[in-house]
Amino acid sequence: MLWFVPVLLLLLTVTLYPTIFVVWMSFQKTKFYELTGFVGLANYVDTLSSRAFWETTYTSLVYVAGSLVLSLGLGVLAALVLNNLKRGGAVLRVFTLVPWTLSMAVVGTIWLWLFNPSYGPISYSMGQLGLSPGLMLGDPELALWLTILVTSWWSFPYAMVIVTAAVQSIPRELYEAVAIDGGGWRAKLRYVTWPHLIPTIGSTALTLGILYLTLITLIIVLTGGGPLGATTTLSFEAFRGTVQAVNIGPTAVYSMAILLANVGLGVLYMRLTGRVTA
Amino acid sequence: MRAANAKVVNSATLVMLAALVVGTALGPMLWAISTSLKNEVNAVSAIPSLIPSPATLSNYLSVFSHKTFVIELLNSILYAAGAVGIALAAGIPAGYAASRYTFPAKRAVMLLILATSMIPGVALLVPTFYLLDHFGLLSNRFAILIILASRIAPQTVWFIQNFIDAVPTEIDEAAHMDGASRWQILTRIVLPLIRPGIAAVAVIGAITTWNDYITVAVFAPDTAKRTLQVALVNQVFDAVGISWSFTMAFALVASLPVIVMFLLVQKWFIAGLTAGAVKG
Repeated sequence: MLWFVPVLLLLLTVTLYPTIFVVWMSFQKTKFYELTGFVGLANYVDTLSSRAFWETTYTSLVYVAGSLVLSLGLGVLAALVLNNLKRGGAVLRVFTLVPWTLSMAVVGTIWLWLFNPSYGPISYSMGQLGLSPGLMLGDPELALWLTILVTSWWSFPYAMVIVTAAVQSIPRELYEAVAIDGGGWRAKLRYVTWPHLIPTIGSTALTLGILYLTLITLIIVLTGGGPLGATTTLSFEAFRGTVQAVNIGPTAVYSMAILLANVGLGVLYMRLTGRVTA
Repeated sequence: MRAANAKVVNSATLVMLAALVVGTALGPMLWAISTSLKNEVNAVSAIPSLIPSPATLSNYLSVFSHKTFVIELLNSILYAAGAVGIALAAGIPAGYAASRYTFPAKRAVMLLILATSMIPGVALLVPTFYLLDHFGLLSNRFAILIILASRIAPQTVWFIQNFIDAVPTEIDEAAHMDGASRWQILTRIVLPLIRPGIAAVAVIGAITTWNDYITVAVFAPDTAKRTLQVALVNQVFDAVGISWSFTMAFALVASLPVIVMFLLVQKWFIAGLTAGAVKG
């Protein structure tokens, strides 16, 4: 037991104590950064009955779902393509993984430049094709979709690596069996690869879903939650509330919503993968 | 004959798709590199071009000679090294005990570590800020280190546990017969055996910490305590005064240590990503 004391001390003070504190905070009346008294569920009632909370929740859902579809789609494609190359697949996989190692601050900065409406290569190319690039990230209709695009660029390599490991664990005999029955690559994909990948794709979707739900730095850099709140997710709102500190009671409620959603997804992940470390 | 033709077409498509995948991943980074090698005027030319002409290293020189660069670099190094050190110091004994001991409260302890790993940092921003402010610990380097260490502590324990699981218990028992204490067994015998594993955990933890923006940005308002990542984002916020060629050079310099560390341990990095993620 003594062996666990340092790590428990660390996690109790830095993680568990603030967790308990945020619960307590969410029941407090607040003024700027002052806690002024117990108010029961008032913060919850106010927040949950506000339009802003549900709009933010909706934005979070669109953001998470959109990023999942794009990153998993690209990730599976990348995994299958690179794994079927005769030579060089492993090396190309390492190169493809580089975006995932970059910080969200760097990724956001690079894409902010790529999306620059005046000098960026993307708006220029769109102009050459006769499309009007508009304000790109400054366009409330477009900002969330571009943020999804960047998120997927950054994280599809993660999906690729996990799916590759799953593809490589499929027994070769199964493909040979399909070949003997006269099946081509379509049949192999449909009857061997795909059924083997579904559980892995499911667990990867959960891991990435948790990541996207709690992601803020990329949004801070790309859009700052704007324009007109178009990219304000629940997590971004928890961040904004913390640094602006106008009234932290509702911010605590947003934090609780993220916390509960996250723990729920985490438990689901444990159930599905049967991964218990105790 | 037909089959052979189909095969050729198939692999040409495959190569094209592979080029598309790698191009998607690397294209934006190439553009960033290209911009970083342009002078400020060419970076914002009306017709963007991938090839910088004339190519110049002046942006990199400006980054290195920028007045706050050194302190930001030192902070980044200090936080990454310190957080990894703390996480290892706390995680190694725990990982050893998790691998070698069974006792009634162990399941509870391991579940607690698992549970804390599920609590997202973003949900703790507001209470942690409040508490740090309350105790006068905002912008305190040690507080930042401890917070960063706590984020990587759970994974450190699990990795170390897995590595020690792979060391046969007979080795421990033999040393025990020779009169070695548990602590001596861990530090003199087990740790040297899992040294490559520890290096991998350290590098993965260092990458995570190095890349952090939010912890330092929110809990260290003092600019003397900020890191390269925070400095980078602050440049972007200054939308009017921004020089894109300088900012791209800065972003690449801030990423270089991570890319180098990744390439050094990429096998372990990939193994770490996939550990437990694929259902056998």
